[in-house]
Amino acid sequence: MGIEPGRLHFSWISSAEASKFVEVARAVSDEVRKTGPSSKLIKKLPEVA
Amino acid sequence: MYVNPADGIPRMAKRAFKKAALIDVLNRLKERYRLYAPVRQNDMTNYQELASGDQADFSASNTRLSPKSFMHPQSLCMFAFGTDKGSDQAGILREVEKDLPRSVVFGIRPCDSKAFQLVDVNFNTPEYQDPWWIRRRQSTTLVGMACNSPCSTCFCTSVGSGPFSPDGLDVLLTDLGDDVVAEVMTAWGSEVLDHADIRGRATDAMTEKATALQQEAERSLGSLLPTESLREKNLNALFNAPFWDDVQFACINCGVCTFVCPTCWCFDVQDEVRNQQGVRVRNWDACMYPLFTHHGSGHNPRHQKLQRVRQRFMHKLKYFVDKYDRGVACVGCGRCVQQCPVNIDIRQLFRLMNDFKG
Amino acid sequence: MEAYTEKIREAAQRLLKENKVDLVMGFQRGTIPMMSQPVLIRKANEGERLHWDSHCGSNLANYLPKRKERIAVVAKGCDSRNIVVQILENQIRREQLYIIGVPCLGMIDRRQVLGALQGREPLSVSETNAHLVIQGKGFEEKLERSLFLQDNCAICIHRNPVLFDELVAEPVPEQTEVDRYEDVKGIEKMTADERWQYFRELLGPCIRCYACRNACPMCYCPTCFVDESTPQWLGKSIDPTDTTTFHFLRAYHLAGRCTDCGNCQRVCPVGINMRQLNKKLEKEIKERYGYETGRSIEQRPPLDTYRPDDAQQFFK
Repeated sequence: MGIEPGRLHFSWISSAEASKFVEVARAVSDEVRKTGPSSKLIKKLPEVA
Repeated sequence: MYVNPADGIPRMAKRAFKKAALIDVLNRLKERYRLYAPVRQNDMTNYQELASGDQADFSASNTRLSPKSFMHPQSLCMFAFGTDKGSDQAGILREVEKDLPRSVVFGIRPCDSKAFQLVDVNFNTPEYQDPWWIRRRQSTTLVGMACNSPCSTCFCTSVGSGPFSPDGLDVLLTDLGDDVVAEVMTAWGSEVLDHADIRGRATDAMTEKATALQQEAERSLGSLLPTESLREKNLNALFNAPFWDDVQFACINCGVCTFVCPTCWCFDVQDEVRNQQGVRVRNWDACMYPLFTHHGSGHNPRHQKLQRVRQRFMHKLKYFVDKYDRGVACVGCGRCVQQCPVNIDIRQLFRLMNDFKG
Repeated sequence: MEAYTEKIREAAQRLLKENKVDLVMGFQRGTIPMMSQPVLIRKANEGERLHWDSHCGSNLANYLPKRKERIAVVAKGCDSRNIVVQILENQIRREQLYIIGVPCLGMIDRRQVLGALQGREPLSVSETNAHLVIQGKGFEEKLERSLFLQDNCAICIHRNPVLFDELVAEPVPEQTEVDRYEDVKGIEKMTADERWQYFRELLGPCIRCYACRNACPMCYCPTCFVDESTPQWLGKSIDPTDTTTFHFLRAYHLAGRCTDCGNCQRVCPVGINMRQLNKKLEKEIKERYGYETGRSIEQRPPLDTYRPDDAQQFFK
């Protein structure tokens, strides 16, 4: 669609895998931060007449 | 100024200009007004603001979407407000200012102009005046283009309009081939023609040719759809008529008819809030959608498709007729006939309802 | 085509006379050239209303969900595959249906024909096996049928009904040398920014009429996500972000369920080619799960089942 790769992540984490959760959360936050503020699919107030 | 014996409408003298000068006319108008005209987009034509006069294309019998969005935009921010409870402005709706310079819709067809007059009865009444509709009506000049070749799905003459009808127009243009006759209907129209530097007078020969074209166009529309008995029909009998079951099956409640129709005006009002800013938006809505009549209680008086399909045609061909005594809420533009994906044909409904015995 | 009409009428009259079904869903002749109107008949003597030609593009499966009667329905290849999924999703029971299968050689794209006529109005259209003959005021045009098929029909690889109780003609040969994903591959090659721009332009004309959704036989939710209000999923105005969201979210809801019947594109009043979104998802589903929608009533759609060997390369 044109939304930058690196914004959308999928992961299976069971509630018993706490350390994996921390790892993935850190990795995703870092990646998104690196990608920078999003400009696509961001809506403030409707752009209409 | 003279009164046209044919329809009793006072007319100002007819002017004329060379067809070859049309692009210049448009360019001159563009300098002074916000100018809209039909523009070809692939297989369809729609109104667009012109960047230059040569973009205009008057070859289509009509635009895919009606010009109603000039007066009634599909989505419109009416009010803005803040929701920050700490501020004393919280929750106060302030009207959003609109930039509405004088604009010209060039090439509008007589049916679409008449449609604005029909929708006026909804948005501009003695009790209620919708400011968004009225301000747009007041700031828009309509320069109409008569239809020399109506298409086979047009039926304007059946519903009180016609291919050369001046109703609601500021100017009526007739394309004679080499010349264009411009009949001034209002002072606004006169001003626009002055600014376009159209001052030449139409000759008698031109007037005669325009009349001949009008007669040919009206003749080509064929026999009229029956409407004479709609008013006297018993409303409940029509409502409970057996033909609705057959008519409604194909309908997919998609709303295309409503959105392309120049006389459909229904809307939905919603607040959209983000962080602590909000706007109150008005969007087109359609009685074809189940949600349209969904009450807060959860009850829906038109929860069945048959009820919604019946509503559309009863409103346009019966309720409006009874309530306003100015004929049907339809101008015969034929867009719904062309665009309905399952070919539900309002012309069949005219016959079914007008000729119904019950 | 006349042979098809005869067979459909005969089947409808027989089924109603013998009380095998309560109603028959088919098509009747349209009131304007190149259109037909879905019709529901309940009496054998109404059979004469039924008609078949290359303008019967509507998907009659759209009218099936949640009906309770015994229904005979005229179904092309794509329609029959939608019926398969509707049965698997419990929207209609197989026992209720008598499927009159129509092996299909493709439906005509009315808008493409109108485009080719360049503003000249068609007053009557007839067809032979290979041509469309169009007559209007002062002109007659003969067009090659195969050049004016709906986009989805041109690349269809399942033209014969997969589920039926009788066929109105011999099965037609399936097209084999088609690349269903040529345009999708073109988009895949674009950069993210180019793609964003591409979809902005594609969806720009959208007027949020929801004809595409309403025409889709797989969109049968009692309350569509666009109509939800507590909470509201997306805005109802023509804001471009909301419009983009509507289209791709609807496409996601159809992943593994869309048969490319083309109805969505056919009904769009402003001619948007939203099938490109669906085809991308169709390609993904095919590559990851080896599944083509509705080919067999024995196969559940991949997104409503779980297999231990399901592809999941995109998971961390």
